[in-house]
Amino acid sequence: MTKKTRYFMAGSAAVLGVGLCTGLVAFYAGGFEAVSAAPVANELRYVPANSTVIAYADVRSIMDSELRTQLKAAIPMHEQGQEEFRAQTGIDIERDIDYIVAAGSTGIANAPLAGGLVVARGRFNDTQLETLAREHGGQVEDYKGKRLIHSPANEGGHQMTLAFLEAGLVAIGTKETVQGAIDAQLTSHSITSNAEIMGIVSEVASNNNAWAVGRFDAIAAQANLSPEIASRMPPVKWFSAAGHVNGGVSGTLRAEATDDESAELLRRQVSGVLALGEMVAKSDPTAGALIKSLQMSGTGKTVAVSFAIPAEVLALMTKMAAAHQEEIK
Amino acid sequence: MMEPTTATVPAPNLPPRALPPAPGYLTSALRVMDLSIGEMLWSRRTVFMMLIVGAPVIISLILRGLVSLGAPVLTGPNNMRMTGPAIFGMMIWFFYLRFIVPILGVFYGTSLIADEVEEKTITYLFTRPIPRGAVLIGKYLAYLVSTIFVVLPSVMLIYLLLVPMQGSLGGSFLDLVKDLVLLALGLSVYGAVFAFIGAKFKRPLLIGLVFIFGWEQVALVIPGYLKYATVAFYVQALVPHAMPNDGAMSLLQNIFRETPSLFTALLGLAVIWAVFLALATRVVERREYVLEQ
Repeated sequence: MTKKTRYFMAGSAAVLGVGLCTGLVAFYAGGFEAVSAAPVANELRYVPANSTVIAYADVRSIMDSELRTQLKAAIPMHEQGQEEFRAQTGIDIERDIDYIVAAGSTGIANAPLAGGLVVARGRFNDTQLETLAREHGGQVEDYKGKRLIHSPANEGGHQMTLAFLEAGLVAIGTKETVQGAIDAQLTSHSITSNAEIMGIVSEVASNNNAWAVGRFDAIAAQANLSPEIASRMPPVKWFSAAGHVNGGVSGTLRAEATDDESAELLRRQVSGVLALGEMVAKSDPTAGALIKSLQMSGTGKTVAVSFAIPAEVLALMTKMAAAHQEEIK
Repeated sequence: MMEPTTATVPAPNLPPRALPPAPGYLTSALRVMDLSIGEMLWSRRTVFMMLIVGAPVIISLILRGLVSLGAPVLTGPNNMRMTGPAIFGMMIWFFYLRFIVPILGVFYGTSLIADEVEEKTITYLFTRPIPRGAVLIGKYLAYLVSTIFVVLPSVMLIYLLLVPMQGSLGGSFLDLVKDLVLLALGLSVYGAVFAFIGAKFKRPLLIGLVFIFGWEQVALVIPGYLKYATVAFYVQALVPHAMPNDGAMSLLQNIFRETPSLFTALLGLAVIWAVFLALATRVVERREYVLEQ
């Protein structure tokens, strides 16, 4: 073997070795769950590991959906909230954002996400946003190599922080939640290392343009339910809601109980509610169609209710809503 | 003064020096491999290999550059958003599995013996005190080393360039490892098949091209057992990425697609590899190659 050949082979082996080592380090640092198919894999690295709720919405596809076009035409929407957000952050939700990942740590005191966090992917003009924030009295700060913009505190003393995490990726939340997100990514202590929640995420993320996954027990503990109701509720550990919005809306609500017995009890309760709904909705064709689209499924610890509301039913509902608004006027 | 003369002592009648023993099968194969790697890597054929392997890397570089500049290349028709890992998966299907691996197998595999015959140098190899079969095995190993050391680094570069675009290197790492193993398997099995074709037939390149672009494509879309007689059927079963719908042929393949289990796929590939490599060795050991004057 000539020297030239040896050098070539050493170069090839080096490329292979460097690539494999990089991938291996990323694999261990980012968690064991392969989420390569999920478009939010990168964003989830900014969600701290102890988050109890994660939600995703493909803003672009929902904004462009037939359903929204119909709703917009039938019911004039109040876009004050959007305008307020735009004035504060310079971000136009309709045009600038592709999708968002939201997370929170409901029920866990002093958690880094106690105030909620939104990570948005889209097209953002960093310079323009920073200038706008400064014009509105915002303060700019660097935190571990990321640019943070703090809005001035409102009457209640609340402050909003926007951070430029990567090109086309921003985080919005309180100062603590945004800093917590940056820390999660830097220390690799993100939700991607939680195999249980990532398993549910990978299931719900496929074929749905909006979903949410959360720890039910943590949320129920925060809800301050009366002891009577709390004692009658079956012990559910995880819940998920996933939906696809286009012409119609289809989705699945899923709960994972702590054991098979609790799941069976929950299935019976859901069946009862569905039967009651069918009985009540007999006189109302719209509600009847809606109830008929509900289907319960699930085995073992899982209980799921799926629904599909066709475009026609939604059109009927929007017409009714528009007529109701006219009556009020 | 006279110099003392030294008398020449006649050499004792020693037996002639014994010839060193002929190297064994494996040693011979490794020596042929060592000799052939350089020849294969620095041949004109490698320029072709670099071109076809370099194309996906250049495309990835351009894509990455465009995305870094803010071009909306990741948004497809109907607002369908593409991610880096998805593009990486498509590249593995389009470029590597459907084109690069079979074509490298044909070009290199069929030339293992055919080139030596064409250049009339096969006599020099066959007059060495090594088994004829070891010549083929050595050349086959050289083919494997050459192609693997060119193809796999290019896949690695694509992975590093594309996957971080709205994806995670860690999340796609297992898929990458599967892809690398799969491509190495594909190269070895296609190489064995075409080594046999190169050793047995007169126009091996033509037969090879008909096999990969004719037989394999047709057999995969015909319902029934014909697909079991292709390499692509077993290789495609191991791909961790979804098959893209990029045309009528893919659509048909998706309709009639039958995915064998991991064990069946691996067993099928192992059987094809062993049978064709053994047949190739047998042909080389038994055939009298007549060199054209």
